[in-house]
Amino acid sequence: MNFYEHTIIARQDTPASQVKVLQEKYSKIIEDNEGKILKFESWGLLHLSYLIKKNKKGNYIHFKIEGNGKTIKELERNEKLDKNLLRYLTVKVKKLDLKTDYFKKTEGMDSK
Amino acid sequence: MKKRNQKKKNTQNNFAKLSVFQNQKYKFKKKCPLSGKGAPMIDYKNVKLLRRYVSENGKILPSRITSVSQKKQRELSLSIKRARNLALI
Repeated sequence: MNFYEHTIIARQDTPASQVKVLQEKYSKIIEDNEGKILKFESWGLLHLSYLIKKNKKGNYIHFKIEGNGKTIKELERNEKLDKNLLRYLTVKVKKLDLKTDYFKKTEGMDSK
Repeated sequence: MKKRNQKKKNTQNNFAKLSVFQNQKYKFKKKCPLSGKGAPMIDYKNVKLLRRYVSENGKILPSRITSVSQKKQRELSLSIKRARNLALI
């Protein structure tokens, strides 16, 4: 089993409820394919540094996964077809860092 | 006039950091800021750190200017490229 970090960006006009649906949809795909979610992070609506499909902002969703190649293959196949998503990125890591959350602080500063 | 001249000198020194004839004052730092104990981890999610090693136009700065070690520069460029893909930088 390998460790992966997986991030997806959803369209800017998806409401919060829809984001949750997306999250549940992909967690189900992961768990159906011998994967295991160790941590889930929602980074919220962030500014994109350049336009992607005429979107200025994006909803970022981040998973930390334990799984194998099959899991990721199936996950990425489904994401390619999904029109609600702008980007996805999978990074294979040797060790998962479950403590630090780089986007929690910035979220707090925005709300202030 | 004098002030203007000084400014010009400073900018030139930034580019000619490796010159043999450079002033002792402007010698570049030898130590790598990203290796050693207590150094920050390079990660594509750590946008604050990566911003420091990217020019205003979004280009990756060469290690001869930032004095990052060769090993860390490789890590850095990889994680900057990942962050670019996610539109974080």
